[in-house]
Amino acid sequence: MAPPPAPPQKSPSPSQPSGKSEVSDLKLQLRQLAGSRAPGADDSKRDLFKRVISYMTVGIDVSAAFSEMVMCSATSDIVLKKMCYLYVGNYARCHPDLALLTINFLQKDCHDEDPMIRGLALRSLCSLRVPNLVEYLVAPLGAGLKDGSSYVRMVAAVGVLKLYHISAATCLDSDFPAVLKSLMLTDPDAQVVANCLFVLQEIWNLEANKSEEASRERETLLSKKIVYYILNRIKEFNEWAQCLVLELVAKYIPSDTDDIFDIMNLLEDRLQHANGAVVLATIKVFLHLTMSMTDVHQQVYERIKAPLLTLVGSGSSEQSYAVLSHLHLLVMRAPMLFSSDYKHFYCQFSDPSYVKKLKLEMLTAIANESNTYEIVTELCEYAGNVDVPIARESIRAVGKIALQQYDVNAIVDRLLQFLEMEKDYVTAETLVLVKDLLRKYPQWSHDCIAVVGNISSKNVQEPKAKAALIWMLGEYSQDMPDAPYILESLIENWDEENAAEVRLHLLTAAMKCFFKRPPETQKALGAALAAGLADSHQDVHDRALFYYRLLQYDVSVAERVVNPPKQAVSVFADTQSSEIKDRIFDEFNSLSVVYQKPSYMFTDKEHREPFEFSEEIGNLSLGQEPVGNSPRYDESDKDLLLSTSEREENGGPSTNGPAASGYSAPTDYNSSLVSLSSQTQSETAISDPGMPKYTSQMTLAIDDLLGLSVSAAPAPPSLKLNPKAALDPGTFQRKWGQLAVSISQDCSVSPQGIAALTTPQALIRHMQASSIQCIASGGQSPNFKFFFFAQKLDGPPLFFLVECIVNTSSAKAQVKIKADDATASEAFFGLFQSALSKFGVL
Amino acid sequence: MESYSWHARRSRCHHLWVSRVADVLTDYLGGLNEDLIKDNFIIVYELLDEMMDNGFPLTTEPNILREMITPPNIVSKMLSVVTGKNSNVSTRLPDATASCIPWRKTNMKHASNEVYVNLVEEIDAVFSRDGALVKCEIYGEVQVDSHLPGLPDLTLSFSNPSILNDMRFHPCVRFRPWESDQILSFVPPDGEFKLMTYRVKKLKSTPIYVKPQLTSDTGNCHINVLVGVRNDPGKTIDSITVQFQLPFCVASANLTSNHGTVNILADKTCSWSIGQIPKDKSPSLSGNLVLETGLDRLHVFPVFQVGFKIMGVALSGLQIHKLDIKNAPSQPYKGFRALTQAGEYEVRS
Repeated sequence: MAPPPAPPQKSPSPSQPSGKSEVSDLKLQLRQLAGSRAPGADDSKRDLFKRVISYMTVGIDVSAAFSEMVMCSATSDIVLKKMCYLYVGNYARCHPDLALLTINFLQKDCHDEDPMIRGLALRSLCSLRVPNLVEYLVAPLGAGLKDGSSYVRMVAAVGVLKLYHISAATCLDSDFPAVLKSLMLTDPDAQVVANCLFVLQEIWNLEANKSEEASRERETLLSKKIVYYILNRIKEFNEWAQCLVLELVAKYIPSDTDDIFDIMNLLEDRLQHANGAVVLATIKVFLHLTMSMTDVHQQVYERIKAPLLTLVGSGSSEQSYAVLSHLHLLVMRAPMLFSSDYKHFYCQFSDPSYVKKLKLEMLTAIANESNTYEIVTELCEYAGNVDVPIARESIRAVGKIALQQYDVNAIVDRLLQFLEMEKDYVTAETLVLVKDLLRKYPQWSHDCIAVVGNISSKNVQEPKAKAALIWMLGEYSQDMPDAPYILESLIENWDEENAAEVRLHLLTAAMKCFFKRPPETQKALGAALAAGLADSHQDVHDRALFYYRLLQYDVSVAERVVNPPKQAVSVFADTQSSEIKDRIFDEFNSLSVVYQKPSYMFTDKEHREPFEFSEEIGNLSLGQEPVGNSPRYDESDKDLLLSTSEREENGGPSTNGPAASGYSAPTDYNSSLVSLSSQTQSETAISDPGMPKYTSQMTLAIDDLLGLSVSAAPAPPSLKLNPKAALDPGTFQRKWGQLAVSISQDCSVSPQGIAALTTPQALIRHMQASSIQCIASGGQSPNFKFFFFAQKLDGPPLFFLVECIVNTSSAKAQVKIKADDATASEAFFGLFQSALSKFGVL
Repeated sequence: MESYSWHARRSRCHHLWVSRVADVLTDYLGGLNEDLIKDNFIIVYELLDEMMDNGFPLTTEPNILREMITPPNIVSKMLSVVTGKNSNVSTRLPDATASCIPWRKTNMKHASNEVYVNLVEEIDAVFSRDGALVKCEIYGEVQVDSHLPGLPDLTLSFSNPSILNDMRFHPCVRFRPWESDQILSFVPPDGEFKLMTYRVKKLKSTPIYVKPQLTSDTGNCHINVLVGVRNDPGKTIDSITVQFQLPFCVASANLTSNHGTVNILADKTCSWSIGQIPKDKSPSLSGNLVLETGLDRLHVFPVFQVGFKIMGVALSGLQIHKLDIKNAPSQPYKGFRALTQAGEYEVRS
């Protein structure tokens, strides 16, 4: 085993050498001892070795003492040998020439009388990992595999794999796999058998793509003969080797049902093994074998329940979390089978939060007619918990149960009781839930609204909860006498409202309220639209403008768009696809289950990154806002886009009546959306600095805006950049040296940009927003120099490197671009230029 | 360390293996922290070397490892002082690696000839605020400490094995005798080990009660907690403690008890250690909690965690019938003990 590669030492101990003198001192002392046969020499050597190793461990390079260490290694003391092997193993790879020195003494040790020394020497020999020393490995390995001691054979088996990783050809040419195979089927020692199996699996898996023979060999490992042979010996194996065997059996394809039952009978008692890993591996075998037999599969669930629940209860929290994650997976697949075990998922006060959270999810999943009352009662206990995040989760869980249940009545009552607890986070969570409940069960509106109406909006601070409250105010304004006035007071405090989500909801709620109670809401709606148009947030602004135009066009159409009759939501979307869930299930008994992600998502780099970024849709497009696309709405606002149906016209004429002068009515909504969004860019740019007072002359102001002729925005760039590109300075420098300049051009910087460029950081931050990262910058007014880089989002990691020199006195920027893919540099230059031109303007 | 991360990458990672490695290291070093690892890095390297090779887990059986690498305990330190030899590696390979019973050396010689069987049970219980039992379960272990020569063959039987659920066994336990007759038949490893773990469900009687009462009015909360024996287990209940977390909205607390000592720690944990319940009175804790200004009454209620120990009783009622030892040169000394303690014993308020 190689020690960790030089971890940076945080707090150096006083004994740590600071320079080379200590190392050379050690060298000297070692040399003096090397030839010494004096009694006590071994003890002094041991102290010296210990110092050498401890330096090595903390990351100090002691490779200079290599030859001295090797000279001292001629000893019969096994601790000295072990330390020496450790040292050699660590430095051989980076000093192959020195490694040659060690071959001799390691080979000699491979013939030692003591099997332990033979084994250790062989292990170290194989761990040198120096390609040009491979030839020295073959003979000792061959001898090791035939050694009389099982310890040596065991080491030799793994040695074959190490050899394979250094040089696959040498390993295969020496016919080691065949030797391993016969050893696997005949060796009396179970650990040797296990190691052979492990190595063969590894080798054939890697070889399978290259040769047909290898893939045939891989199939053989899964043949009935071998699987049964190993299964019959399973009790001889130690617990970890048993896990390996079980993993193999899980891949075995049984020939018929008798086959399946034979294996299950053989493995039945493994479920009661003290080691959780064995139990989990056995469960995996059972689950996979019975996949096609629905009845038996269900019985397997019943059978494995108890062992799993016991495992959860024993051991540390970390262990029980790992097991609980597996249980979680099974519970989610078949909740009804666990419905009678709900008490096991009750949270203990001392459970860590991560355990509690999983338990809450499981309680939610297994709730059905028979146990809902108990589960909800229990969950309500947690709502008063000291642990606030868990209290929140519990309330959410109650809500989820309500959404999936038949007897909602009692649960709704409980939720309404939460609202009376007068704790802000409880109120907040409950409001969000009540909103969801109302979307699914509109028939409960009467009871809920009575309670919600009593909540003062001042006591609700969290954006999500506030948005939920506002949604209800708008949706049920006909039932809440003072809804328009609450909305009005909220709109008055528009500027203090930080969350865009809340402001968006305010706009929609004001609209809905207006359609139901026009005279009372008219003023509030006007104020909301004005404030919305002045809003610096793009979406809020867009929505306000859209509503305004709609109202201008036709109030009844506006109502059909904004407040159509809704159908109750029957199912809320599931967050994880069933394909992913199945994949995780296939990887039972691995970290996939604990992370709740299939392994490729956290092992493969290529897979990992797009996956993470796909959640941040907002950052994916660059430069211009997506022109021509309809604006995005968040999920809670989907009702806006629902199909409209005829509804009786609501009489009240709007203050902002359809009297627009310079506005040509669009024929359908889609085109109006398009035309609106295509103009937003420039509008914000202009309206931001000195926004005219809209409240009095809104119509006029909007007409003014419309009257402006906007120069067409450049065509949407097809190139997309990775918003989280990363490049270390070394690579940047190397690339900069290798690549040729593909574009070198001057471009101008806007006067506002020049004004904003007081420090390099201002521009760096600005470019970052466009996914162009800065790797180095410098300079002082009037000359600033920047090195930027960016990475193409899709496909192979292609980088663009930019040198940009900005001269503030001439308002010019000299841009040099180098690119991995020179053909794309033109497109990138477009992006870069447009990003730069916006600097200081936006 | 590369090989370990390599192992983890191949998703064939035994998350449980890691915790076993931690157990072994803890066993060897008498704890597990950065300093201990730094002080004993040679042993840590040696152990890791034997526990895993090229990312493949080998053995984590403490008995085998202890034979290959002697733990750096006081005895070996003293030995090294006396003999001047401080090798922590045995010169011989463990016999067990070659035997079919990996947990035991083939030829064990002992000065002592004795075996102890301990029943250790933990009672988990949750009570609701009105004193009703929400859930109650016992988690039990049969611990054996064996110092027997040769290859002894033991059989342990219980008077009432039917009360046990979800047993898990040490690898030494033979499966068939348990399946057919509920008899534990095994060749024990040397030293201490967990022979079996079990659960006992649906327990109705709990040894002690804790009755908390909290009443709030205008910024104050009066608290009163009573503790007493509910079902007498027949032996003394010892080391009784009651612990609870004061809600964050409590500004200050003034608590007194008529028995035992009350401590309020910096993190607002209040611990009341009672010890034994006196014959003449039932212990009670009372006092006043001052809430933060602006709060009228308490919204968050603490959970009371109760600790206790009862020596000499396995509360589940599990009883050992007999222990037979075959293959023993002379009749060894056999000792039996039982202990029940509170696990997660919680009372809500």
